[in-house]
Amino acid sequence: MSEQTLVQNRKPVIRSLWIVGAFIVLTFLASVCIGNYAISLPEIGAILTGGEVNAMTRKVFFTLRLPRACMGLMAGAGLGVAGSVYQMIFKNPLASPDIIGVSSGANLGAAVAIVSVGTGVGGIAAGAFAGGLLAVAFVMLLVRATRANTTATYVLAGIVISAVAKSVIMLLKYYADSESNLAAIEYWTMGSFAGVTAGKVFSVLPFWLIGFAGLFLLRRQVGLLSLNEEECRMLGVRLHQVRLAVLTLSTLLVASIVSITGLISFIGLIAPHIARMMIKRENTDTMVLSAMVGGAVLLVADILARSLYAGGLPISILTTVIGVPVLVYFMCKRREGKV
Amino acid sequence: MSGLLSLQDITAGYAGHEVVKGASLSVEAGEFCALLGLNGCGKTTLLRAACGLLPLQGGRCTVQQQDCTHLDERRRACLMSYIPQRGSLIMGKTVLEVVLMGFNPRLRLLDSPGETHKKAALENLDRLGLLALAGRDYAQLSEGQKQLVILARALSQDTPVMLMDEPDSALDFVNRHMVLAKIREVLHDRQRAGLITLHDPNFALTYCDRLLLMKDGRITAEIDMKKVTREEVQAALGLIYGEIAVLEYAGRYIMTKRAQEG
Repeated sequence: MSEQTLVQNRKPVIRSLWIVGAFIVLTFLASVCIGNYAISLPEIGAILTGGEVNAMTRKVFFTLRLPRACMGLMAGAGLGVAGSVYQMIFKNPLASPDIIGVSSGANLGAAVAIVSVGTGVGGIAAGAFAGGLLAVAFVMLLVRATRANTTATYVLAGIVISAVAKSVIMLLKYYADSESNLAAIEYWTMGSFAGVTAGKVFSVLPFWLIGFAGLFLLRRQVGLLSLNEEECRMLGVRLHQVRLAVLTLSTLLVASIVSITGLISFIGLIAPHIARMMIKRENTDTMVLSAMVGGAVLLVADILARSLYAGGLPISILTTVIGVPVLVYFMCKRREGKV
Repeated sequence: MSGLLSLQDITAGYAGHEVVKGASLSVEAGEFCALLGLNGCGKTTLLRAACGLLPLQGGRCTVQQQDCTHLDERRRACLMSYIPQRGSLIMGKTVLEVVLMGFNPRLRLLDSPGETHKKAALENLDRLGLLALAGRDYAQLSEGQKQLVILARALSQDTPVMLMDEPDSALDFVNRHMVLAKIREVLHDRQRAGLITLHDPNFALTYCDRLLLMKDGRITAEIDMKKVTREEVQAALGLIYGEIAVLEYAGRYIMTKRAQEG
């Protein structure tokens, strides 16, 4: 036996990465082409090489399609990575990035912005971003206050803060102007890529990059956090500091996404499962593949969202339609004891 | 008190309740010491206090004369490794990946293990006869093999002191003997100080160099297996286990419950 075969066979992993990578390229191109104003592949080629193109096509490409496709990829990849990290550190296959309250916080932030400054998109995004970060900050303070610094305490604190956020949202909805504000609050929770612009993408890009790159830099520590807490500490992981860093980075990542798109259900939950089913491993490869799967699935969902109905459907309807069969498949596998 | 690992007058416990009340011990390089006692006597608490997993209410823990009471996890993990009763549930990782985790305390936060680490990890696996398993999925190993892989991980951590909390508790008879024999062999070869808690005194009598007997949160007696007679072993173990007899078989001592008279 050579040393290489002893260590592990990486061929299936690399093949999966290539397959999903190719799929991403295809869906990204499709996402740029498909829409109310169709753009053809030769036209994209011409835009990129500086050739002769209709001004309208150029405008649609740069201000609508490209930002929207980029945001779809960023959102799916971010939620996929955050999901796989959370499933590892919370040792729970059903953990999704909202487990410690970032989504409900963002929801509350968006609702407050809608009620106080109206339905302007900039205000909603800022409110949602701040709300998501604040909610997780409260979760961390609550964990500190209880002095029971375990992963389970984080989950419980997340439930508490989410519950508080939800009750405040209900209060806001109850008093909101039912014509416009109530609808806007409700609509935000369904998620959409319809309002994505290049400006918005650039404004959240730094936070997204910090979160995404940070999680990958800490990948080895994330793997160690999946062990029991005592074992993890005895392997030299500075548990409190590392966990705080990982949770902060993932919160930045998720908040940067949902502040622009609204809530997107299921992607953070199913992308890691699909990735694990493909390569049957749980390590950095899973994080990479989970990001890629998340991006691919969300691009497909967004293409469907704008093609199935002229006005565009909320994205969470599509991600749920895609996510549910995957979860059911996962349940069946689980019964057979294969996952 | 000298010794590679030295615990002095340790007091520790949970929520205002002292379980360990002034326990002292020391372990030399190349020595395999067992901590024996009944349930609730404080042996696991003492071990957890030595690991720094429980805060000390009093006393000092030193490794190579260096006080490690207030070290952070990372520095402590360079001085002592730990094998739990039952390792974490680890899914989707190869045996080699699990062993490589042992290098964490010596790697910088964002670094990854390199070729030299891989080589060292494979050597440690080879040392325990596990080389052929290096690429296998850890989750699919038997409990005995898993415990050996965790031992290989502790060897990779390469610490002067190795602490073990009933690492045999999930193992069957054959695997227990195999794992404890390997631990003993490795401690002697590499001149590490090993401290283990065990439930079954017979395994301690067979494999350990010195037995520390715990009762009511203190070390009440110790048995040095190199210079002790059957009667002395029986007297010392009797203090803890009650009506027992110690028999001699093939140069080893075996403890059994004394037959009821009448």
